[in-house]
Amino acid sequence: MKKMLLSLKMSPTEIHQLNLGPITAHAFNKDRSQVAICPNNNEVHVYQKSGKGWNLIHALAEHDKLVTSIDWAPESNQLVTCSQDRNAYVWTFDSVTNKWKPTLVLLRINRAATFVRWSPNENKFAVASGARCIAICYFDEENDWWTSKHLKKPIRSTVLSLDWHPNNVLLAAGCADFKARVFSAFVKGVDQKPPPTPWGDKLPFNTICGEFSNDSSGWIHSVSFSPSGDALAFSGHDSQICIVYAGGETQNIRTSSLPYLSLLWITEEKLIAAGHDCVPVLFEKQGQQWRFSKVIDVGKKKVVTEATVFNRFQDWDSKGIREGSKEIELNTIHQNTITSIRPYQGSRHDISNISSSGIDGKLVVWDLK
Amino acid sequence: MSYRSTDVDILDEDQLFQKDLFTFAGGLELEPDVALKNVQAKGVDVRNFLTRGNTEKALTTAIENPPYGSNTTDAKDQNTKIVMEVLNSIKATDIPSIVKNLTLEQQDVLMKYIYRGMASPELYNSAVLLNWHEKLTEVAGVGCIVRVTTDRRTV
Repeated sequence: MKKMLLSLKMSPTEIHQLNLGPITAHAFNKDRSQVAICPNNNEVHVYQKSGKGWNLIHALAEHDKLVTSIDWAPESNQLVTCSQDRNAYVWTFDSVTNKWKPTLVLLRINRAATFVRWSPNENKFAVASGARCIAICYFDEENDWWTSKHLKKPIRSTVLSLDWHPNNVLLAAGCADFKARVFSAFVKGVDQKPPPTPWGDKLPFNTICGEFSNDSSGWIHSVSFSPSGDALAFSGHDSQICIVYAGGETQNIRTSSLPYLSLLWITEEKLIAAGHDCVPVLFEKQGQQWRFSKVIDVGKKKVVTEATVFNRFQDWDSKGIREGSKEIELNTIHQNTITSIRPYQGSRHDISNISSSGIDGKLVVWDLK
Repeated sequence: MSYRSTDVDILDEDQLFQKDLFTFAGGLELEPDVALKNVQAKGVDVRNFLTRGNTEKALTTAIENPPYGSNTTDAKDQNTKIVMEVLNSIKATDIPSIVKNLTLEQQDVLMKYIYRGMASPELYNSAVLLNWHEKLTEVAGVGCIVRVTTDRRTV
């Protein structure tokens, strides 16, 4: 099911400083006119685009602790948020009262929730948690509430990230037990039996369709299915990116940079990664081999200004800079680790713009073409 | 007062053991004495290469097949000594070219030994190691250092 995002006018890189502190998570609505972020506290702030900037229109305060992840379902326009308070809420927008109404979801976990994503058909969502399980939540019509089933075995540590396969049944999970796994999250009554995929045929709930790790065992920070779903990429804390083809080969890219926290396929042959290096980076499949292609952020040109005596003393007083231009700012747009990159524009098979948010409180929209 | 001597940890069903999380080479571990013998044989080869002046081959042999394992400490100490001998005998001007010729795997293992050596400054010359560290980081980047910190297979 291809989801075509509305084609907006192409724009150069947009930079928005939405918070002084970190942005823990961000999610855009379908037409990119609104964005929900967590400004590193227990609230979710919804901003409306106005001109070149954003206006705060809603502050959703229902969670007790840090909201760790947000996802906005494009078609049903529902928000799901999960938090360190071991809860998740599904928010529906009531246009009569112009407010977001929360519905508590019983996850039955005894540790923090770390990551949440809607499934492609938006009838389920998966919540990763520190309780060494993944809660697959679906709406129970009979009892009129969101209920959950757990994927437990054989996860041995915190689940750090999730990604749904386009068939709405398979789910990839990256864990702190150094493994990336593909699970079947088939829920009877909610899902139709999916057509066979390279990952497996008979797929009852909690079947492991694949378990992968990289040789130097680092926590798996991010997993991502390719646009077709036939390949899985995951990045580990050991600065390696692994791409696994279902029933086929595995390719390992040892990078010489700091670990990547977030991955996103933009075409079947291109992959964007971002993390502790503060820049999104492109990896490409050239022929049969995956390799590093280029850094997306070209970096700022250093502006050489006339250093008048007054300016020099002013800098010394306010910023502690004594001579010339000592670097207190990074030469990149993001000034700190990028924690999340998400598709902004384009179809699943050909993404043209991505959005990134990080610890520096910036939300940046990148033009990849 | 018998509850004071009850070990509550063994009663916890969710407990995570080291073996559940990570095993060396899929469960096949070298016996400590076998590992030690291998390392000593390697040491002989390395010394031969050094006396013949083939420093590059000496280095690659020394860092090849490190004695990973949970109880191969003697073999590890011995191997570290051998690697340090090689590192000390290579001239500073040769280091950049040798480092460039190493494969990615070899670079990672060499970085592990550099850090291992720097951990015992009373035994090994830290200045030489710092120089190696600088040249290796220029070629391999910080990713190499991150792999040394995350990899559970320690030397």
